[in-house]
Amino acid sequence: MRLKNKIAVISGGTSGIGLAIAKRFVEEGAEIFIFGRRKDALDEAVRVIGGKVTAIQADASKLKDLDHVTDVVRKAKGKVDILVSNAGFTEQVPLREITEDHYDRTFDLMAKGPLFLTQKMLPLMDSGGSIILVSSAMHYMGLANHSAYAGAKAALRSFVRTWAAEFKGNGIRANLLSPGPFPTAIMEAQANTSEELDALQKYYANFVPMLRLGRVEEAAAAAVFLASDESSFMTGSDVVVDGGISSI
Amino acid sequence: MRLKNKVAVITGGNSGIGFGIAKEFFLEGAQGVIVGRTQETLDSSLAQLGDSFIAIKADVTNQEDLDRVFKQTHEKFGKIDIVVANAGGAATEAKLGSVAEIGEADYDKTMDLNLKSVYFTIHKALPYMNDGGSVVMIGSNAAHIGLPALSLYGGAKAALIAWARGFSLDLLERKIRFNVVSPAAIDTPVFEKFVEPGQVEAVKKQLVQGIPMGRIGQPLDVAKAVVFLGSDESSFVLGTEILVDGGSVNLQPFK
Ligand SMILES: NC(=O)c1ccc[n+]([C@@H]2O[C@H](COP(=O)([O-])OP(=O)(O)OC[C@H]3O[C@@H](n4cnc5c(N)ncnc54)[C@H](OP(=O)(O)O)[C@@H]3O)[C@@H](O)[C@H]2O)c1
Ligand SMILES: NC(=O)c1ccc[n+]([C@@H]2O[C@H](COP(=O)([O-])OP(=O)(O)OC[C@H]3O[C@@H](n4cnc5c(N)ncnc54)[C@H](OP(=O)(O)O)[C@@H]3O)[C@@H](O)[C@H]2O)c1
Repeated sequence: MRLKNKIAVISGGTSGIGLAIAKRFVEEGAEIFIFGRRKDALDEAVRVIGGKVTAIQADASKLKDLDHVTDVVRKAKGKVDILVSNAGFTEQVPLREITEDHYDRTFDLMAKGPLFLTQKMLPLMDSGGSIILVSSAMHYMGLANHSAYAGAKAALRSFVRTWAAEFKGNGIRANLLSPGPFPTAIMEAQANTSEELDALQKYYANFVPMLRLGRVEEAAAAAVFLASDESSFMTGSDVVVDGGISSI
Repeated sequence: MRLKNKVAVITGGNSGIGFGIAKEFFLEGAQGVIVGRTQETLDSSLAQLGDSFIAIKADVTNQEDLDRVFKQTHEKFGKIDIVVANAGGAATEAKLGSVAEIGEADYDKTMDLNLKSVYFTIHKALPYMNDGGSVVMIGSNAAHIGLPALSLYGGAKAALIAWARGFSLDLLERKIRFNVVSPAAIDTPVFEKFVEPGQVEAVKKQLVQGIPMGRIGQPLDVAKAVVFLGSDESSFVLGTEILVDGGSVNLQPFK
């Protein structure tokens, strides 16, 4: 067990990549806190994860909610070893159609949220702590209709570098995890019909040099590596789990 | 055990990082071969690895030696799943220095070991490798940052990143994945090979100044990343580089 007795907090741990990370962390011996907005999804996640999991209903883009999550974790455990900022969504919008609302929702959840989540959790973290921001291989690419999304994900690339430089005295590490395309609810949300979803998944799979989408367990395996002491000499870096889409 | 029943070839598995990788592979259930030129360290390393490993004495800059390594490995184990192209660093009797000083003879020695040998290790392993196998090349932070006297070496290591991408594309049909692990200064015998005796500790200290985490790395730090990339846990990871560098490439900590 590679995360025995570690305390982990995972945003968006109720679906897709976050849920796979949550399951795997528990299998590796961690005690976890997950949060998301939907109560039914949280309940279902607690059921499928089993083991030591606490679910908190909270919006990762709202600072007051992040305070609440931090309070719950502080009261229950008084410390955090691993923080995974994973909550996210994708809306494809060409530049000329981007509204302020789209821009704000994207950056609020995927740039502002991770920054303040980390800021709030930091006092609970100690030497050996590991922060993982889930970005996207898209931050390396130019993919049409993803200005705000890819921009927010690129901000995360910069955050881990900057924080790692700030943390260097305290033994806390910050790294990025950049997934390629995975067939999760994030793709379902971009399609109106099952035909559209099928087409989107095929489009992405064909784009990946390996000619397939990722399996969420493959993202979770990389998260375990970054969360555990196995990566104790890594900080400010990026582990890309993308079937080669961003580089080949 | 994440490498159970896997057969691995680790070049330079008789010292430093390579030996650290071999030990970790052994603990994770792998079998395989360590390769190096020095019988004494091959023997002493093998003694710590147990029966599932063998040692083959060979020079990775020699084409016939490489042929022999993979042929023998395949004869002994029947397959090859993982190749770790790790042999490298200080080439025998190669002077390191500025581009203004290093001429063809020293250029060839450094590049034969750090560039050409990696290409031919892989080229000659491929006929024996399983589809779905994994190749890990050991790069260096010198691929990304200017380090004193290491520009030529850094160029060789930078090429490995391009190769991880290109070779992964070349071998897509066989599903063989290529990735690079790039360390910063790691505490190994390499320093004794290119630094004046008596200066080793001073050089290590100086290198640590460039590592934001404030410590030299250990072979185990690198080995853990190689286990991840060698194992099926990284089955969607190809053409990438993992920096095991204490932040030396990405951070600029002002003192
Ligand atoms: N799947 C891919 O192809 C892919 C590729 C690259 C990167 N990623 C990144 O990976 C991460 C996970 O994506 P996924 O594919 O696993 O998506 P998913 O299956 O749609 O899951 C998203 C998770 O985030 C939560 N979430 C969404 N908005 C939230 C909010 N405002 N506050 C709190 N939680 C919220 C969701 O729960 P609620 O809806 O209940 O809040 C859910 O648990 C995202 O950051 C995404 O950008 C995914
Ligand atoms: N240590 C660091 O700070 C550091 C940092 C970044 C990258 N690296 C890289 O990590 C790798 C391992 O370095 P290390 O620090 O572990 O060095 P090391 O302790 O000197 O080990 C080098 C290994 O390579 C073998 N080798 C060298 N030339 C060879 C040849 N012609 N044929 C076969 N084997 C040969 C050596 O065995 P024989 O001498 O017996 O042949 C030895 O086992 C190198 O690629 C190096 O560039 C090291």
